Amino acid sequence: MHTQLRQKIEDGFGHLAHLIYRNHWKVLLLVLAFVAGLATQLPKLTMDTSTEGFLHADDPVLTAYAQFRDQFGRDEILAIAVTAPDLFDLKFLNKLKQLHEELRDNLPYLDDITSLINARNTRGEASTLIVEDLLEQWPEDAAALAAVKKRAMGNAFYRNLLLSEDATTTVIVIKTDAYSSLGIEGDALDGFDDAFEEETASIARQFITDEENSELVMAAHRIAEQYNAPDFQIRIGGGPEVMFKLKQVMQTNMERFIRLAFGAIAIALFIMFRRISGVLLPLLVVFLSLLSTLSVMAIAGIAFKLPTQILPSFLMAVGVGASVHVLAIFYRHLQQGNDKEESIAYAMRHSGLAIVMTSLTTAAGLLSFAGAEVAPISDLGILASSGVMLSLIFTILLLPALLSVIPLKAKSGSRAEKRHAKMDSIVIGIADFATSRHKLVLVLSSIIILISIIGTTQVRFSHEPYKWMPTSMSVRQAGDFLDQKMGGASVVEVVVDTGRENGLYQPHILKGLEQLKQEIEQIKNDRISIGKTLSVVDIIRETNRALNENRQEFYTVPDRRDLIAQEFLLFENSGSDDLEDFVDSQFSKARFTLKMPWTDSIYLHELSDDLRKRFQQQLGDDVVITVTGMNAILGRTMAATIFSMTESYAIAAVVITIMMILLLGSLRLGLISMIPNLTPIIVTVGVMGWLDLPMDLFTILIGSIAIGLAVDDTIHFMHNFRRYHSQSGDVDDAVRSTLLTSGRAMLVTSIVLCLGFFIYMFSILTNLFNFGLLTGLAIAIALLADLFLAPALMVQFYKREKTAVED
Amino acid sequence: MKYPLLFAVLMITLLPLQAANLTARQIMERVDDRDDGDNGISDMVMTLIDKRGNKRARKIRNYTKDKGEDKQRIMFFMAPADVKDTGFLTYDYDDYSKDDDQWLYLPALGKSKRIASSDKSGSFMGSDFNYSDMTSKNLDAYDFRILNEKEVRGAKTWVIEAIPKTAEEIDETGYSKSVLFVRQDNYMVVRAVLWVSEGGRIKYMDSPKIEQIDGIWVATKQTMTTKKNRRMVHKTELNFYNIKFNQPLDQDMFSLRRLEKGL
Repeated sequence: MHTQLRQKIEDGFGHLAHLIYRNHWKVLLLVLAFVAGLATQLPKLTMDTSTEGFLHADDPVLTAYAQFRDQFGRDEILAIAVTAPDLFDLKFLNKLKQLHEELRDNLPYLDDITSLINARNTRGEASTLIVEDLLEQWPEDAAALAAVKKRAMGNAFYRNLLLSEDATTTVIVIKTDAYSSLGIEGDALDGFDDAFEEETASIARQFITDEENSELVMAAHRIAEQYNAPDFQIRIGGGPEVMFKLKQVMQTNMERFIRLAFGAIAIALFIMFRRISGVLLPLLVVFLSLLSTLSVMAIAGIAFKLPTQILPSFLMAVGVGASVHVLAIFYRHLQQGNDKEESIAYAMRHSGLAIVMTSLTTAAGLLSFAGAEVAPISDLGILASSGVMLSLIFTILLLPALLSVIPLKAKSGSRAEKRHAKMDSIVIGIADFATSRHKLVLVLSSIIILISIIGTTQVRFSHEPYKWMPTSMSVRQAGDFLDQKMGGASVVEVVVDTGRENGLYQPHILKGLEQLKQEIEQIKNDRISIGKTLSVVDIIRETNRALNENRQEFYTVPDRRDLIAQEFLLFENSGSDDLEDFVDSQFSKARFTLKMPWTDSIYLHELSDDLRKRFQQQLGDDVVITVTGMNAILGRTMAATIFSMTESYAIAAVVITIMMILLLGSLRLGLISMIPNLTPIIVTVGVMGWLDLPMDLFTILIGSIAIGLAVDDTIHFMHNFRRYHSQSGDVDDAVRSTLLTSGRAMLVTSIVLCLGFFIYMFSILTNLFNFGLLTGLAIAIALLADLFLAPALMVQFYKREKTAVED
Repeated sequence: MKYPLLFAVLMITLLPLQAANLTARQIMERVDDRDDGDNGISDMVMTLIDKRGNKRARKIRNYTKDKGEDKQRIMFFMAPADVKDTGFLTYDYDDYSKDDDQWLYLPALGKSKRIASSDKSGSFMGSDFNYSDMTSKNLDAYDFRILNEKEVRGAKTWVIEAIPKTAEEIDETGYSKSVLFVRQDNYMVVRAVLWVSEGGRIKYMDSPKIEQIDGIWVATKQTMTTKKNRRMVHKTELNFYNIKFNQPLDQDMFSLRRLEKGL
C-alpha cells in the first residue's frame, strides 16, 4: 500500500475520532438504538441438534432422505430397553404392559409403538392362520407363559429388535412422527373441504423439530422414571435420545463458555491495563457485537447447531482484540500527558488501519467456511465473520464515544512504570535474540515445520457425534448397552425401487433381498457390525411358514410370483398394518433397514457404497437403489467435512495472501509474511497427526480460524516494522521498536485468545476439548512465530536485499 | 326385511314428524336397522391411492346374504392377474361376543385358511378401510350425542358424535372417537370422521354417490382418506357396479367348498 494512501487513511481515522468525540451522545444513542432494535428479535433463536441439520436443505443426500421420510416415516427410533431377571414372568409382563400403555397414551408426536405386548405374531395352527399380537391372549398360568416364551424366543424377527438373545432385555420401540405439527390446527371436521387441504399444503413442511423431539424424549423419561426399579431396569437410547442429550449438553456448554469467556477476558484486560475502564469498555463492545450477531442469526432464522455453539464465546475472544490495540495506544498517549480528545484521535490514527486489516483477515478466514457443504460450518463462517465486522464497527464508533463520556486521567505512580520497564526489557530481549540469532531461529523453525508436515500426513478424519458425549452420561451408557445387547439402535436404510406397480411380486427381487439379508447380517468387523436387518422378506417368510403348518423349511421366500402376490394379499388382509413400514402401497418400492451399533461416520460412506454395489449386483440394473437414513447422512456429513476443509483452507490461504500483499505493498514481502502465518496451522495439524487427535467437525475449524487470527499479529508486526524500517533503515532497530510498541498488545490479545479457546477444554463434549486445546496452541504458536520467526525472516530478507544493492 | 317398499313409504311419510324429537341413540338405531339389502351381487373396484397420486386397482366380485341377523359375504378377486380367483369368505355375527369367521383361499397354494383374529382395527385388503368399517357396530358400546345439523351435498344430516365406552372397543375398532353425518331422509351415514387411536391419524369416510337400487339406498362410490396433520397419507376409493339385490343365492354359495371352487 502506498505511503500516501496509508497516510490519508490514517488521517481519516483521526478526523473520524474527533467527530465522534464531539458528538459522543448522538453516536452512543444511535448505536444503542440499533442494537436494541435488533435485540427484539432474539427470542426467535432456535436450536437444532438433528442429524439432518448438518446438511444444507438442498443437499441431494438430504433430498433423498426427505423422500424416504415422506414414504416410510422417521428412521431414527427411540429405544426403551427394560432389563429384568425373568422377562416371562407374569408380574413383569403386567408391568411392561402398563408401561407400554402409558407410553402409548401419553407420548406426544408418537407415530407407532411396538413391544412384546403388541408384537406381530403370525403362525399356523392346523388349517388356521393366526395373526395376532404376541400377548393378545393374556397368559394366566405357567403353561401359557411357557408357550409365550417359546413363541417369542423362536421368533427371529424379535431377536435383537424386541428381545436380546439372552432373554434378559426387552425393548419398546418408539417411532416418532416424521414431520412437525407446527402450524397445523383447526377443526378436524373441516377435513372434507378441499380448501382445508390447500391451506395445509401452503404451510411448508418441516421435519419434527428439536423442541418436539425434546418434548417426546422428556415425556418418555418422566414415564420411565416411575417404572424404573432394580428388577425393571430401564435404559433409553436411540437417535431421538442422542439428539435430545446433545441439545442439553450444548445449552450447558454455551452458558459455561460465555461465563468463562467473560471471566478470562476481564482478568486479562485488568492485568494489562489496571483500569476499570480498560476492562469494562472492551467487554461492552464485545457484548454489544455479540448481541447484534445473535439477533442477526435470529432474523435469518439460523438455528444453533452443534458446531455453532462456540460462536458466542468465540466472538468475544476475537472481538476484544481490536479494542485492546486501540486502548493500549490511547492509555500510553494519555499517560504521556496528552489530553483525552487528542489521545483518542492519536490511537485511532495509529491503529485504525491495522484493526480494519486484522478484522478483515479474520473475517476472510472465517468466511472461507461460507461455502461449506456442512450447513452449520457454513453458518458459522457467515455469522462469525459478520460478528467480527460488527465488532470492528462497534470498536471504531463506540469505543471513542465511550472514552469521551467517562472521565479519564493519566495515572501517576511508579508502579505502572516499573511494570512497563520490566515488560519492555523482556520484549527487547526477544527482539535482540531473534535478530542476532536469526539463522538459528530459521533452522529450528524449518525443522519444526518439517516434522509437522510429516505429522499432517497422518491425520485421520472422524465424525461421531454420539461419542462426543462422555461415557459418564446416561445416554452413552444406554447406547453402549443397546449396542452390545441388541445389536445397536442406529440405522442405515436402503430403498429398492423397481419402478413399476407390483414390481415386488417378482421372485428374483424378493429372493435377492433374502440373499442380501443373509449376506449383510454376516458383516461383522471391528468398524461395522450389522446387528439385524428388517425388510419385507421377514413378513413374507413368516407368512409362508404360517401357511405351511409352521414348518421351518418354509421359512423362505416362495418361488412363484402368484404365490408371492397372494401371500401379500393374505397378510394385508390379516389385520396387520406392518407392511406399510416396508413397502409403498404400489408394491413398487421396498425398504431394507440395517440396524447397527454407533460407529464412526468415516466408515459409513464406505458402507453406503458397498451396499449400493451389493444391491445393484444382486437385483440387477432395472432397479434403482438409494442408500439413505441417519447413518447415510452422517457418512455424507463426513465426506462433506473433508471436502469443505480442503476448500476452505485453500480459500483462506489465497485470500489472506492477497490481502497481505496489498497491505504490505510488496509481492515478496507479502509472500514471506505468509510463513509465520501458516506455521501455526502446519504445526497444529502436525500435532494432531502425531497425537492421533482426529479431524472432526470442530477441529476442522482450527485451520481457518487460526490463520485469520495468526495474521493479526503478523499484520501488527509488519505494519509497524515497515513504518520504523523506512524511518531508520535499520532492521534490528525496527524490530525492537515494533515489539516495544505493538508487542505488548500482541502479547495480551494472544493471551486473551488462548484463554478464550482453552475454555472449551471445560466442555462436556470430549471433542470440543481437543478443539479448545489445539486452537489455543495454534494461537500460542502464532505469537511465537511473530515474535521470533517474523523478525528473523526480516533480517534475512533485508540483508539479502542490502547485499544485492551493494553488489 | 320383508316389505322394503312398505317400509320406505312409511319412512318417508313419518320422517318429518319424528325427526325433530329423535335422540342420538334413536337415530343410530335407525341407521343400524336400515335395510341394506339381501342376496346381493355387486362388482367392486377398489382403488388405492398414495399421497403422490399413484393408483393401484383391484377388482372384486361380491355376494352377500343375510342369515337371520348374521351377515355372510363371499368375495372373489377378478384382477390383478396375480391374485385372480383368490377368495374371501366372512361370517359377520350379530352376537358381538362372538368373533367373526373369516376364510381365505389362495389358488396358488391350493388351500383355504381360516384367519383367526379378534382385532377389527386392521386394514381391509390393504385399504384405508378397516374391518370395523365394514361391519355393524355394537351400539351399546358407545355414547352418542348430536353435535348439530349440517347439509351434505344438499341433504340435511345430523352430526353425531360417538365415543366408545370401553378401552376394549377402542382396541377392537382402532378408533378413539368418531363423528358421523347421518342423512335425515334415509338414515345413511354419508360422511364420517374417525380418530385413529394410535399415531395421530384421522380418517375421512365420504359417500359422494348414493343411489336407490331396488328400493335400497346404496353408496355406489365411497372414499376413505387417511390424514395426518391435515395432510393426506393414503386414500381408498370404492366404486360399485352391477348392483343387484334379491338374487337367487343359496346357502351353498357361502361355503368353504364354494370358496375353493372359485367363481
